[in-house]
Amino acid sequence: MSLLATPKGWPTILLEVAPAVARFGGLRRAIRELGPAGTIAEIAAAGLRGRGGSGYASADKWRAAAAAGQELGPRVSRYVVVNAYGADPSSLTDRTLLAENPSAVVEGAAIAAWAIGAEEAIIAVRAGESAAIAALEAAAADARAAGLLGEAIAGTTRRLEIDIRTVQGAYMLGEETVLIKALEGKRGQPEQRPPHPAEDGLWGAPTVVQNAQTAAAAAWILRHSAAEFRATGTADEPGTILVDVRGPAGGGIAEVPFGTPLADIVALAGGVPTTTKGGTAAKKGPAADAGAGRPIKAVLVGGPSGGILPADHLSTPYTYEALRAAGAHIGSGSVIVADDRACVVDLARVLTRYCADEACGKTIPCRIGTRRLAEMGERLAAGTSRAGDLDLIITLADDITGSALCDHERLATLPLRSGLRYFGPEVEAHLEQGICPAGVCRPIALGRAATTAVAPTSSPATTSPA
Amino acid sequence: MSFVPGLGLVKGMSLTLRRFFEPKATVRYPEVPADVSVKFRGRLQLLLDEHGALKCETCFQCAQACPIECIDMGGMDTKGRFHVHWGPPETYGERREESALRRSGRTVPDPSFASFTREDVDPLDEVLDQYDYDPKRMLEILEATQAIYGHLPVAAIKKISQATGAWYAMIYGTASYYGHLHFESPQAEAQVAAMAARRPSESTYLDRLGASLDGTSPSGAAPS
Ligand SMILES: Cc1cc2nc3c(=O)[nH]c(=O)nc-3n(C[C@H](O)[C@H](O)[C@H](O)COP(=O)(O)O)c2cc1C
Ligand code: SF4
Ligand code: FES
Repeated sequence: MSLLATPKGWPTILLEVAPAVARFGGLRRAIRELGPAGTIAEIAAAGLRGRGGSGYASADKWRAAAAAGQELGPRVSRYVVVNAYGADPSSLTDRTLLAENPSAVVEGAAIAAWAIGAEEAIIAVRAGESAAIAALEAAAADARAAGLLGEAIAGTTRRLEIDIRTVQGAYMLGEETVLIKALEGKRGQPEQRPPHPAEDGLWGAPTVVQNAQTAAAAAWILRHSAAEFRATGTADEPGTILVDVRGPAGGGIAEVPFGTPLADIVALAGGVPTTTKGGTAAKKGPAADAGAGRPIKAVLVGGPSGGILPADHLSTPYTYEALRAAGAHIGSGSVIVADDRACVVDLARVLTRYCADEACGKTIPCRIGTRRLAEMGERLAAGTSRAGDLDLIITLADDITGSALCDHERLATLPLRSGLRYFGPEVEAHLEQGICPAGVCRPIALGRAATTAVAPTSSPATTSPA
Repeated sequence: MSFVPGLGLVKGMSLTLRRFFEPKATVRYPEVPADVSVKFRGRLQLLLDEHGALKCETCFQCAQACPIECIDMGGMDTKGRFHVHWGPPETYGERREESALRRSGRTVPDPSFASFTREDVDPLDEVLDQYDYDPKRMLEILEATQAIYGHLPVAAIKKISQATGAWYAMIYGTASYYGHLHFESPQAEAQVAAMAARRPSESTYLDRLGASLDGTSPSGAAPS
């Protein structure tokens, strides 16, 4: 997938390929100038947060892993795992990063390993991504040639190795405890946390799991400075993140600063919002154009377990906090624009079914909860809902969120939840009148097609069947 | 029907009387404690649901949780081959498909009745040697095995289990999780309808998502 052109003035951090002279400069600085504690302090000062979905402060993880097992002496094994799996099929952000800037990922992995006292960093890549794997191998070989990997790195007595491992075969491998299981050669089901991997991770050793973009950001911070990093993004969430934007008019990968309004991200994919003034203007008339002349109906933010936000929420800043409050999440960095051809019920149904099918089966909320949720979504779309289904969706979603073992089940409730929250009338039309206003859901829409007999391009929301 | 009037009655009553004076086998549990070992926890048995499908998800939580490792999962098919149970690589998605098929009343083809081919497991020696007989590298071993056979034959899993010391059930549990590992040759899987209904691939998801965004979803038709 192609890189999208971003407006002038947007910084390039994750995709900044260091010039030859400055290559691995961050790692050198960490080793020669800062030392492990100083490196962690620099990351803390930069306010770096994980780019893999949870937005957890990286420095806290590193500190915890560096401190864990200290009583066992200086030679206790620790690991760094860089999560470059990219679980969401509809987001190619991490894969793009590996292709565009492999040395930053390798450098970031090495920096993290240096900081926490690990001798081995594993970069977990999707099997089959042979170009990315080759690029990573080449970058690691360069670092080794520069004396930054191997037995005694950069004049110290420390050993540091980078291992590129391939994993494949399930969506859940993106979740950190599942990824660790896969690296251990086990069935991929999540573990209860705490203990967090920082204390009890790969082979029971303290392990820092960090997304590939987080690693690249860490490398940039040490190449430049924490203060420079803080100049981008918001105060709480500095820096940039890669997004995968898709819309009717096209799409691609872009690096965006945290806090960018969703509208600006959507605009990158060719959807041109007419206004960012506010909700009221946007609500009436064709508020925002999804490209190809159709109005934006909704934006799916966060991948298969993302939230479906209406067009009047396009002013929401792209941050962990704001999206969470809106009922979505950054997740895989996926932003998908739906125009008025899409039906929110159908969209939520497809998403929830995928989440249920990919649920690992370990716990009841995961095995049975997500499945019941998907069935209720399917009943809504099929026009066979039972009395009380809407309440049941909310109650069940609350129960799943409350009792889930891993975040997958929690997040899997978002498509239906956000659908109910923002598109109440559309959902109720399915439930109470048995019609699909967008004319998508077949069993109900068939009746509509028979009564109205219009071309599918007619404005769907205005024609109401008998 | 007897032609002697009352003979049936006499026969019946004689049985009743005989049983009446015989010593009783009934244990008046719970008033009288049953005479079983204090460690007895009942018989371990997998249950079937109302449609005759196995309720067990093969998730191995029980085997992994059991503190004295007395639970392992396994079974024999009709050819005496050792199996946990037949089926495609599964998480919940596939088991659902299979039991949906059962519920529909159609017969689920049983690959255990397929002809038995002897597998040559010698090539495995090299693989096992390469990975140092290390059960911690099970996924790599399984992937290398699949590269040889095109799937994971029972005989191969059995041999890996013996050589690495990992339980057969654990290996099965690992292999059944990952979408890219198969227990049957592609040809055999193609013959079995239930196996075709595996967990949707990523491209299936992207197709469904794309159709939903275009407003062309075949909705309502999804299996539940
Ligand atoms: C269902 C699920 C899928 C996930 N997929 C990914 C993924 O593909 N890549 C990733 O980096 N993190 C993924 N995560 C988040 C990881 O669990 C973990 O938080 C992350 O790798 C930690 O790195 P970070 O702190 O740098 O974000 C996923 C989490 C869940 C619950
Ligand atoms: S494997 Fe899982 S589903 Fe099957 S009996 Fe054990 S715990 Fe239950
Ligand atoms: S997906 Fe099974 S516990 Fe989270």
